[in-house]
Amino acid sequence: MANLLLLTWTFLWLSFLCVGGGLGVIPEMERQAVTIHHWLTAREFVDGYALSQLTPGPGMLVAVFVGHRAHGLLGAVLAGLAMFVPTSVLAIVISHHWEQWRARPWALAAERALLPVGVGLMAGGVYTLARTAIHDGVTVALAGATALVVATDRVPPVVAVLAAGAVGWLLWR
Amino acid sequence: MRRVSLLRLIAVFTWTGFSSLGGGRSAYFHDALVRRRRWVRHDEFVQDFTLSQVLPGPNFSNLAVVLGCRLAGFAGGVWGLLAIVMPGAVILLGVSALYARGAFGPDATLLMRGLSAAVVGLVLVTSLRIVRGSLRGGRAAAVALLTFVAVGPLRLPTVAVVLVMAALSVGLQWSAPAPSPLPRPARPAEDP
Repeated sequence: MANLLLLTWTFLWLSFLCVGGGLGVIPEMERQAVTIHHWLTAREFVDGYALSQLTPGPGMLVAVFVGHRAHGLLGAVLAGLAMFVPTSVLAIVISHHWEQWRARPWALAAERALLPVGVGLMAGGVYTLARTAIHDGVTVALAGATALVVATDRVPPVVAVLAAGAVGWLLWR
Repeated sequence: MRRVSLLRLIAVFTWTGFSSLGGGRSAYFHDALVRRRRWVRHDEFVQDFTLSQVLPGPNFSNLAVVLGCRLAGFAGGVWGLLAIVMPGAVILLGVSALYARGAFGPDATLLMRGLSAAVVGLVLVTSLRIVRGSLRGGRAAAVALLTFVAVGPLRLPTVAVVLVMAALSVGLQWSAPAPSPLPRPARPAEDP
């Protein structure tokens, strides 16, 4: 019981550390789950992160995986709720009011000022992804081919990504 | 103000959640809501994207909430979140149970390597589309570049970077001549 509370609390505060891209919180989550609380091994954590990327929905669903390894179904549900509910409530409240605030001069100025920061964060996210995902000729080719196909707008992105994944699997097998 | 009905919002968000594999999932939203359906204008998307990045919490769910609120108010935010998170949560729960029984081999790892490389190509294209037309003037470009270098290659803590760069950006705004406001024409919200 105490351990379940600890699990919930840990993912609750971890969720508030996710600013500007979920990748930033991964090192701390691993430290908490593997090193400090021994909910799972480092290998299991890496596998869980990869699986959360491979399955649909937010990447931060890795919380569900960790919760499941730690405490089964109940752990998974609690970790998932802690990860998504409090920050989402905050997001709903703020974006609800933002619609009213954005007409005011200070809100317009803030929005205009934050825009380039957001663009920079997005570019940083691409860089972080590439640093782990692009490591040889094949991965460069897969990324390039996907970019070209997506740029034509002829194919839904998910189809292009799945096809490239299948090609990679065939090449590496 | 509702631009789309809740049911359509739930359907489209659920599909977007289902079809978003790999990292950089905001790319799928941009494709679904801006390029395919024109429910959201490009500059609105960039604003919502920025807000979802700056707010604490998982990015993708924040973006779903903010876009949902924009499209269908409070209920849109709640249902947008559920539509994005629940299907994936159920699937990952099943996958976790399978994993606990040792059902995953090296084949899954290889497939994943290919998928994650492909996702880089996808987010590159989408990011370029989002960047194009959203940076106005040299100061904005400089702020974006500095932010990128800080969180990307330099790997500085994101929270600190956002605080510093936001302050710098506000300061630059203050000293710059006021630009013309972004156009905000009304746009009918219907499927093409």
